[in-house]
Amino acid sequence: MTMTVNYTLLSARTTFANARFVIFTVALPLVMFLLFSSLYGDQGSEGGISVTAYLMVSMACYGGIGAAINSGARVAVERQTGWNRQLRLTALSPTSYLVAKAAVSMLVALPAIILVFLAGAITRGVELPATTWLLTGLAVWLGLIPFAVLGLVIGSLGTVDAVQPITMLVFIGMSILGGLWFPVSQFSPFLHGVAKVLPSYWIGEVGREVLAGSGVPPAAVAVLLAWTIGLGVVGAATYRRSGARR
Amino acid sequence: MNNSDIAPAVRLSGLDKSFGAVHAVRGVDLTVRPGEVVAFLGHNGAGKSTTIDMLLGLTTPDRGTVHLFGTDARAAVVGGRVGAMLQSGALLPDVTVRQLLTTFAALHRSPLSVGETLERAGITDIAATKTTALSGGQAQRVRFALALVPDPDLLVLDEPTVAMDVEIRRAFWASMREYSAAGRTVLFATHYLEEADDFADRVVVLAEGRVVADGTGASIKALVGHRTVTVTLDPRDTDGLDSLPGVTAVDRRGDTYLLRCTDSDLTIRALLAARADAREISITSANLEDAFLALTDPHRADAPTSPQTSRTDTPKNGALR
Repeated sequence: MTMTVNYTLLSARTTFANARFVIFTVALPLVMFLLFSSLYGDQGSEGGISVTAYLMVSMACYGGIGAAINSGARVAVERQTGWNRQLRLTALSPTSYLVAKAAVSMLVALPAIILVFLAGAITRGVELPATTWLLTGLAVWLGLIPFAVLGLVIGSLGTVDAVQPITMLVFIGMSILGGLWFPVSQFSPFLHGVAKVLPSYWIGEVGREVLAGSGVPPAAVAVLLAWTIGLGVVGAATYRRSGARR
Repeated sequence: MNNSDIAPAVRLSGLDKSFGAVHAVRGVDLTVRPGEVVAFLGHNGAGKSTTIDMLLGLTTPDRGTVHLFGTDARAAVVGGRVGAMLQSGALLPDVTVRQLLTTFAALHRSPLSVGETLERAGITDIAATKTTALSGGQAQRVRFALALVPDPDLLVLDEPTVAMDVEIRRAFWASMREYSAAGRTVLFATHYLEEADDFADRVVVLAEGRVVADGTGASIKALVGHRTVTVTLDPRDTDGLDSLPGVTAVDRRGDTYLLRCTDSDLTIRALLAARADAREISITSANLEDAFLALTDPHRADAPTSPQTSRTDTPKNGALR
């Protein structure tokens, strides 16, 4: 247990040593939040909360999703370099490896959420009770679990060259179709339907509802849980074959 | 006494592995006693790496069993009794050598300290270097350091000196000698007979997935250092060919005789003196690869003898086990 925790912390540090990772998962959502909120922040409310708060939740989700997926996809790097073969010569079990990797993804997603929230509070005057800040952050963070698993699945699938564009495509695609860049109220009925089955839509819903004080919608829990379980099954199967030489 | 104290460091029984149509390992049996330094000698595709992967539990054999210190490979790895230097890659990007070793050590139950590992591997000077900035030889030494992290009883090295220049190679073997002098077991794979002979107590030759010879470096050298004198003679009178000086074995193909020699000059002088009818004489020396291939197939034209017969006809100091 101590071993898995140590490994998680050290891996998280390693992940943050990668500049590309930090830019995409922390800097970009922060800049986008500041930009969008200065452009549209005065446009009243959207879905029961102020547009600024809406944008803040969306960009926190966007950054968190990027961090969770990209972190998991780094498994491809470890596979390609043979590092995971080396890891199999340690006391860390394959299950602990996956648990640790998922934990790393969750851990490295925290800065995006915290920094976007701080930017909202400090530079854009978003005012919320302390418990609401905490609960909203926690809800968004827990909503990232299926994305952490999704990253691991992508990372277990192919080579680094194949995984990088897939990661970006899934990350950006999920973010747009889930209404994190533009509200789904502006979507066509078809795209609206698409959004409703995506975890990226429901993580936004969770954040917005908790921020508005209405609690976590059961539908969100159901969809996020279904994605987590489905991806978990796929992930276990792909990981099992990833240790062999050929 | 604990069972694992008396058990062999390595016991492979009937290991067999295919990858699709490629039959990589064909029934390998091997026992290594604690404290032995064993070289796996063979060319690419001989089955060295696959055998090592199965030994370490990285690949599951199709048939056969692996026991390390009397337990299965995974238990020995978890117990920190096995350290391995894998053939390629195996270094995480974006970290320094020290961070890499720290992360790796965190995954062992009772690892060496990072400082100690750096020192033993002789890489204290590159501790702050990023893994991506290492030269090939330096990266190999970092891989060696990873193998030392568990402070293992058995060290397994898959072609450790690839990409090392002469100087680094020498330093590497010096730190290895220091390590094995403490009575620990070492098993390493190599292409080079010289390296195997210089460093190992025992050389196991693999070819086409089989163990084709197993003995001291000297005995393997004697085996592959042979020349073959081919001569055509009247087949009615061939007695005494095998007692010519330097001849270790005689094989016949019709009128043509193949004399396997330890000293072909001596043999030829004696042959010409003894046999006026000797004609069409040629001398061939097998290189290492030819010798290995010959050993795998006793019926091949250039095959001197089968490994079984070699047991009896090699010189005493090179007797095969």
